[in-house]
Amino acid sequence: MSTTLPLFRRAFFDTWRSTLGWAAGLAAATFLYLPLYPSIGGSAQMQDMIDALPAEMTKALNYDQIATGPGYTQATLYGLIGFLLMTIASVGWGAAAVGGDEESGQLELTLAHGVTRVQVVLERALSLFLRVVLLAALVFVLVRLLNDSAQLAIRPENLFGAAVLFAGLALLSGTAALCAGAVSGRRTYGLAAGAAVGVLGYVFNAVGRQSEDVEWLLNLSPYHWAYGNSPVANGADWGAAGWLWGISAALVALAALAVNRRDVGA
Amino acid sequence: MTHAISTRSLTKKFGRREVLHGVDFTVEAGSVFGVIGPNGAGKTTTMRCLLDIIRPTSGEVRVLGKDPREGGTELRRRIGYLPGELFLEGRVTGRKLLAHYQAISGPVAPGRIDALAERLGLDLDSHTRKLSKGNKQKLGLVQAFMHDPELLVLDEPTSGLDPLVQQEFHAMMREAQHKGQTIFLSSHVLSEVQQTADTVAILRDGRIIAVESVSGLREGAVRHVRLSATGITAHDAGALLGAVPGVGHVEVLESGSGVTLTATLEGEIQPLVQALASLQLTDLVLEEPDLEESVLKMYSNPQEAAK
Repeated sequence: MSTTLPLFRRAFFDTWRSTLGWAAGLAAATFLYLPLYPSIGGSAQMQDMIDALPAEMTKALNYDQIATGPGYTQATLYGLIGFLLMTIASVGWGAAAVGGDEESGQLELTLAHGVTRVQVVLERALSLFLRVVLLAALVFVLVRLLNDSAQLAIRPENLFGAAVLFAGLALLSGTAALCAGAVSGRRTYGLAAGAAVGVLGYVFNAVGRQSEDVEWLLNLSPYHWAYGNSPVANGADWGAAGWLWGISAALVALAALAVNRRDVGA
Repeated sequence: MTHAISTRSLTKKFGRREVLHGVDFTVEAGSVFGVIGPNGAGKTTTMRCLLDIIRPTSGEVRVLGKDPREGGTELRRRIGYLPGELFLEGRVTGRKLLAHYQAISGPVAPGRIDALAERLGLDLDSHTRKLSKGNKQKLGLVQAFMHDPELLVLDEPTSGLDPLVQQEFHAMMREAQHKGQTIFLSSHVLSEVQQTADTVAILRDGRIIAVESVSGLREGAVRHVRLSATGITAHDAGALLGAVPGVGHVEVLESGSGVTLTATLEGEIQPLVQALASLQLTDLVLEEPDLEESVLKMYSNPQEAAK
């Protein structure tokens, strides 16, 4: 019996609870942060308070741009809580896709059937991509929805660009997790690699922005590639988006190649 | 095609540790071939090599006439595999999980899954992670049998099954054999294999130390003899029995007017019966051959077994 993309279907539909959970979390974060903009980000008192904070701190948190609607959305939602939730979701899914499945002993039985290893990696990666894109699309829709009531004044084309970068940034961590999991056959290594990409990217950005001496760190930060020019305010750097998505695709290819060459479950 | 499986000098190293040292065997198409051996002998590794889950370091493997490495998806669709340790997680029902495996294996006849589940007494509508070990094993068996594959590779298939279900499973194996399917199964105990298999290979420390038909194994196996007789001295009885070919471990006890004697017998019964005809027997017990014992002997002493 032939069903199209049987492994993708299983990876995508059998994890709907998890997808729904992360969607709820992102929605809650969006509804929590954005409606507060008129009373926090846009108020003069808040600006005074932020001015009073150490400059290093506001830079590290990207709060230097919080006074405008797009800047506020960029700093709080896309740059912090949304980034965190998306990265965790993506890394978790990526690490489970191949490495976790092998470690739990289930990959062996799947591979004993009429599927190729490359197919297993590609279909599961497709499921990861689609789930991340769905979450990014959800956030896009919710921000559009709140745009007027929260007086954010975000231009739709900028928001779209930010969504593409938001998804790409999470995918980079997620595919790093998938790749490390596929190479090692261990979920933990996948989690570690994915978390390292996410956390180091964030830290390099925060530190790199502090002074010219350490500015070079910004070049190593996927977070900075994506958000360096505040896409919600200024539109996407499409070159950066290309890099994020391109490297993610390359990591998937590498994972497929690695799994295809080694013993499974040994 | 006469061989369902054949391996030649199959060798597998994990890093520097060699776990299979040149394994050779052939499985005739349509036969039931059992591999037994202690844990860690290499049974699971051998099976994984047949499914291309693990790649041999050297040597040649042919499964249904093809190299598993090149046979790809087409070859694996013709095989039903039950892994030695079955992990089924996730919040899906048995029915949904089987539908998934159905989508990635050979064609399954309509109603086949329900029929197999009913035979084994498996509830397809409960979630897999809530199933007991035995019920997971049943799910694994349904998964392996459902597409009526030409070759069944079953790693410790009866582990966790209660005796009634084991019987049902044995019936399923016999039916499969009637349909011309080949079965390759493993176990760490012989009794499981001897009921169903035509041929048994004994694997120890990554080597095949013996390949025997079950009837051959029975002939070579040790029987225990116990008898009582009157009108003979212990010395004469010992001498008489000791001269019979295949008899060993003779122990004689004087008891009242006669003797009680125990011994072991390897090989044919006829010479022993002829020798016993001259005695005034009051009791005679000739036990079923203990295959388990002879196999255990091979485990611990491969040189003698290979004599």
